[in-house]
Amino acid sequence: MTTPRPTARSRHQPALLAGFMLAQGVAAIFFIADAVDDLMAAPPGLHVLAEALVAAVLVVGIGVVGWQLRLTLEEMRRQEQALDTARGDFLRVVEEQFTTWDLTPAEKDVGLMALKGADVAEIAEARGAAQGTVRAQLTRIYAKAGVSGRAQFAAWFVEDLLD
Amino acid sequence: MAALNRGRAGGEVSPPNPWDPLVRFSHWFLAAAIVANALLNKEGGTWHIWIGWAAIAVLAIRIIWGVVGPYEARFSAFPPSLRAARRHVGALFWGRAQEYPSHNPAGALMVYALWGLMAVTLATGLVMTGAKGPMTIASEKAAVAAGDWSVLVKESDGHDGEHDDDDEIAEEIHEAASNLILFLALLHLGGVLIESKLLRRNLIRPMLWRRNT
Ligand code: HEM
Ligand code: HEM
Repeated sequence: MTTPRPTARSRHQPALLAGFMLAQGVAAIFFIADAVDDLMAAPPGLHVLAEALVAAVLVVGIGVVGWQLRLTLEEMRRQEQALDTARGDFLRVVEEQFTTWDLTPAEKDVGLMALKGADVAEIAEARGAAQGTVRAQLTRIYAKAGVSGRAQFAAWFVEDLLD
Repeated sequence: MAALNRGRAGGEVSPPNPWDPLVRFSHWFLAAAIVANALLNKEGGTWHIWIGWAAIAVLAIRIIWGVVGPYEARFSAFPPSLRAARRHVGALFWGRAQEYPSHNPAGALMVYALWGLMAVTLATGLVMTGAKGPMTIASEKAAVAAGDWSVLVKESDGHDGEHDDDDEIAEEIHEAASNLILFLALLHLGGVLIESKLLRRNLIRPMLWRRNT
């Protein structure tokens, strides 16, 4: 697939950028305040000029970081949407295939949980059913799908993705 | 564009979860600054002024973000509208609560009121101190403490009676706006809690950190 999951680093990056931006803003305002004070106290000298320069650089820096933050947020949103679409597409494929196999609504439910990797005990608990019932449903699902067991059942769907 | 924002339930509109970090950080910083300045150190000491100046910077950045930031953070995503706010509260009352892509219209009015009052508080604070930076004020205080009273003399020289009146007015406004913020912040908190209950969704968590998935 062309949409990698966001890594831990990229997930924390916006927070870092925003924190950095606000810290720069606070630093800049103190510099600006000091530069203005000095300007009012004395005619502009080299010292004031240096201060004003630092303040200006900080302000430009805020703009650059802010721009970067926006781009990062937009990129993350695009990735999430692509992931959503992929997820939705996959679910639709599964649902269609289940219908083709003539699974009952209960079997579809159990089949989906099995695909997600839940074991018999977990499925039974989630559905409030006996484990024997779930085991019987799984057997019927595998029979309808014409697969030998869970591994082949899952592989049936993965196969298409790996083509 | 509102549809860009898909809720967890899939497809439906809802505010971002979580809010973008700049919205979150500026919110909690400003809330903390207000609590600190209005309740903990309200004498207008050096700390008060340092915190106040930092709040100016953070508020300014949030305002700019409201123009150039991502969709939900922009003012255009939550325009102030009395009519929409009334409609929203009515809908809540009748149990037909609705989701919006950003702040809901009633929340939006509150947000603008709080920001506006913050701006007033910060501006009148600057008027009272002659917009002197915190470093200057700190060094003046240090000079006075060391027995050099000349800064104070210079100060009163520049102050005719009229000016002191202005300061008096500024101080009154500063205090009134600050108290009004505290009062509205309580309403704000109440609104957030009520809305969370009616929408069956925790509004506070998206303001704190990202959801765990
Ligand atoms: C976070 C925003 C702020 C809040 C909530 C706030 C709140 C307050 C409050 C409640 C008082 C006490 C008023 C009284 O009882 O007379 C006060 C006093 C004062 N504030 Fe602020 N303030 C804020 C920002 C600022 C800023 C930015 C400055 C200046 C740069 C400032 C300067 C002062 C001064 C000088 C006093 C003392 C007034 C006096 O009693 O002579 N404040 N502030
Ligand atoms: C002095 C205190 C406070 C002030 C001045 C304040 C102000 C604000 C402002 C200006 C916003 C809009 C944020 C933005 O778009 O950047 C906001 C949103 C919000 N605030 Fe506060 N706030 C305060 C305290 C609190 C507290 C104590 C809580 C909850 C524990 C809270 C919860 C929220 C939530 C959940 C939102 C987002 C509402 C939504 O989903 O539309 N706030 N607040």
